[in-house]
Amino acid sequence: MFINRDVAVRDMESILMAAIWFWIPLILVPIGAWLNLSGRSKKGGAALALICFGLVLISSWTVPSSDSTAAGHLLLSILAPSLLMAYGVHGMVFGGNVPVGKLDSSARWSGFLALVISLTIFCLMHWYTLTPLWRNNEVNPYWIVFWPTFLLFATSLCSASALALVGFGDDRLAEAIKLAGLSVVMAGIALSGMLFDGYLTTAEEFSDYIWLSAADIIGTVVGATLAIAAFAIVIWSYEKSLPPPMNSLPPTKDEIKHVVAIAKSHIGGEDE
Amino acid sequence: MREPNASWKLITLAAILPVLVLITINLSIGDGYHPESFKRFGNALLTSYVLMGVILLGNLFFYADSRHRPLAPLVGMLVAIGIGVLISWALVSNDDLLLEANSGLRAQMLSNIVHLLVSIAAMLLAALLAIGATFAMITGRGRRVLFEEEE
Repeated sequence: MFINRDVAVRDMESILMAAIWFWIPLILVPIGAWLNLSGRSKKGGAALALICFGLVLISSWTVPSSDSTAAGHLLLSILAPSLLMAYGVHGMVFGGNVPVGKLDSSARWSGFLALVISLTIFCLMHWYTLTPLWRNNEVNPYWIVFWPTFLLFATSLCSASALALVGFGDDRLAEAIKLAGLSVVMAGIALSGMLFDGYLTTAEEFSDYIWLSAADIIGTVVGATLAIAAFAIVIWSYEKSLPPPMNSLPPTKDEIKHVVAIAKSHIGGEDE
Repeated sequence: MREPNASWKLITLAAILPVLVLITINLSIGDGYHPESFKRFGNALLTSYVLMGVILLGNLFFYADSRHRPLAPLVGMLVAIGIGVLISWALVSNDDLLLEANSGLRAQMLSNIVHLLVSIAAMLLAALLAIGATFAMITGRGRRVLFEEEE
């Protein structure tokens, strides 16, 4: 009886700790971002979102007993290559021919280099010792969720972008071929994952997760689309239920006089 | 103005085709269909529906600001989210329909949210790469001379 009570108290404590150090900060990140973007509390919102995001990142140390914190650990592990990728993309875009915020033309090459290095780091995280390790030196369970999803979605988006560029752009075939090439590279990395074992994950496991990632991507996109459709139906049905707006009364003579006076004061100019 | 050569249907096909090709290759070299795929699809669909619904519910506050704060859309959206939660609860607690390797309903729900967080992080990073590369290609070409100045 006492043992059961102790176990229950310990369970409650671990749930409470997980709520305080992981779940509440996770919920507060979008709320902080919303406060920042809506302009209600720009600095406060940004500070709240950043602090809470930091708490989520370090949650595998603050609440090591919670399994959910593996996601925070993964986000921390991929933060550096992701920031490098963002830096690379920024340099490549703004080192080119842009009307505002143009960087030095060398930024294009340094950006490209940063992008290649970040992709190489991601590959090394799969095939070399950089794999994110979690409890008992085992591979982080969410790494094998993140990696195939990233590869599949990047392949898919690059392919769609290439077609959009050649379809909607004017004489953009050369650029579209380069984008299609990037899509093929991403598909090639995914294919290599299916054929060659990683440092801590086998090719078979990766193949299984390709299926699960495809299911994940399609499910997420369909679910979000359904939510947007439900939102549109709610707004549409409410707007439809509103009575048509009343016609306003024609202006009185005094109002017309006032308008004419304003108009006259703005027409004409000084004689030359 | 030039007529576009691509339609949205074609672009959607271009987005789906590489995934289908990879899945087909996977099918030909692997053991075949993964049995947990449907569960993952169902969980991802329901979780993203509910979470996207909650985000859109937040957006309704902006909408309410311009409409004398009506309650009807808020209630409508809450009902829509409630239906999603109910379906999730029913399918996860019913036998083995959507329950993955988790101990119970609560564990599955929390696991779904964390799983979605990781998937969305992966998709956002992929979007950054693809959209960034597209803009880099667009800005990479020198400005074209449209009109020659008269001598």
